[in-house]
Amino acid sequence: MKRTGLLYDERFLKHLTGANHPEVPERLTAIYKGIRDRGLLEHLQVIPAQAAPRMWIETVHDRDYVARFEAACRNGDSSFESPDNQMCADTFDVALLAVGGILEIADRIVNGELDNAFCAVRPPGHHAEKAKAMGFCYFNNVAVAATYLQTQWLIERVAIIDFDVHHGNGTQAIFEDDPTVFYYSIHEHPSFAYPGTGRAFEAGVQRGTGFTCNTTVLPGQGDDFYREAVEKELGPAMTRFRPQVIIVSTGFDAHVDDDMADVALSTAGYAWMMEEIIRLGDRIADGKLISVLEGGYCLERLPELAADHVQALLQI
Amino acid sequence: MFISKSMTSKVITTRPGATLLEARELLKTHKIRHLPVIGDDKRLLGIITDRDIRSALPAAFYRDDCPDPAGADYTQLTVGDVMTPDPTAISPQDTIEDALLQIQKMRVGAFPVVDDDGFLKGIISVRDLLRAFINVLGIEEPGTLLGILVEEKVGQLKKIVDAITEENISCGSILVSRHWEKDMRAVFAYLLTNSVSRVKRKLTDLGFELLDPMEWAMDRLPQHD
Repeated sequence: MKRTGLLYDERFLKHLTGANHPEVPERLTAIYKGIRDRGLLEHLQVIPAQAAPRMWIETVHDRDYVARFEAACRNGDSSFESPDNQMCADTFDVALLAVGGILEIADRIVNGELDNAFCAVRPPGHHAEKAKAMGFCYFNNVAVAATYLQTQWLIERVAIIDFDVHHGNGTQAIFEDDPTVFYYSIHEHPSFAYPGTGRAFEAGVQRGTGFTCNTTVLPGQGDDFYREAVEKELGPAMTRFRPQVIIVSTGFDAHVDDDMADVALSTAGYAWMMEEIIRLGDRIADGKLISVLEGGYCLERLPELAADHVQALLQI
Repeated sequence: MFISKSMTSKVITTRPGATLLEARELLKTHKIRHLPVIGDDKRLLGIITDRDIRSALPAAFYRDDCPDPAGADYTQLTVGDVMTPDPTAISPQDTIEDALLQIQKMRVGAFPVVDDDGFLKGIISVRDLLRAFINVLGIEEPGTLLGILVEEKVGQLKKIVDAITEENISCGSILVSRHWEKDMRAVFAYLLTNSVSRVKRKLTDLGFELLDPMEWAMDRLPQHD
């Protein structure tokens, strides 16, 4: 059994998105319930969040952008930069907590206290760009974590594996010219799904060429396609890059029952994929792996998906 | 959507007296495929393409940056010898649609843009047209494409737009296309949002059928030519 952390904090529930929005606090309660009901809590180190210092946020995001987001929040605006990004007065503080919690987890993984962890955070992050909120995301949680690992802990190579059904345009844009952060994403083909980036020919720019890899999934494709992509694209890419820490952008919205997209991954397919990523991490990155929640909106499926996910991390 | 607003105005041109090698160098340097040929008075005389040059030079010569003496004759070939004289040109006041239809009909890659007095004003290539269409489709903005099958009758689009509006979603573009089924249309709405589940349900409840993207096939549309 691995020493696995769970970042969970009820303050993450305070980010409210109003009526009819899919990114709701109930997502997290469903995830927590799934983990608890399978009896996994006793094996986990549950770690509460703490606000990230601004300086770490600003290693990725423009200072002006952070200030604009805070001002909009304090002003009581109900959305930020797009009607997609519904928020409330607490959103800014919750977003700081999410990042800060992940940084705390990163510390514990690097110093050997934990092997890996699942960070059940809201709001999600992978669509957020340097100076732009998008697709329910304000701070790019995984991007700040990767930069923190490199700056604070002098980790040279970090891989970000993103299996949310939507392409992580923000993460890609932040690291596309950086050969020290490998971004791999598998997502529904951008001609059919938000945000319309992550085409197979997008492979990084300048010095970062070859350090971004996108696999696009057609509507209706599922387990077989993912299996092949993980074995033939992700595996070899990780073996070549040799990351020292793997960060996973965990989106549960590629599940067949999730109506945010049209990809048909099964619960078993998800479990297989995560186990395969953990095997890769064990082989290449000394098992150091931080999973960070992104999307996943089917409240009926989230409990089992989260429980399987954590069980894979625990290796029990 | 006028050509004058979509064309490339800073045109790289050549003269009839230039050698093929010089013209080839220009194409290579600027990564282009078409060179309008102009006279001293700046009027359009012809057009020369990378393909014209390639056909005029023997393959061995083309592969070799330092041609052997046997190729010497070819270095004397001029643009005037090989260009297409008096090519079909298009006016700055023509539209993108004119250019699209013409390009398809004539099977060329670009048109010189010439004003009423015969002066070269620009060039419009397939590449310029693609850029215009990427703009029109709005696909460089983040969004989600919905395909909706509708009966061809007045008022359908309004219902769709109303449903989208009720969900507080902006449209990047809406395209209405023909469909292979008689009296049906396909509406492609590019929605500037990540949240499409509710609007999809709403449209289904209104009786619309959502197109399965895997079933959509341009080839099945009735062809005009």
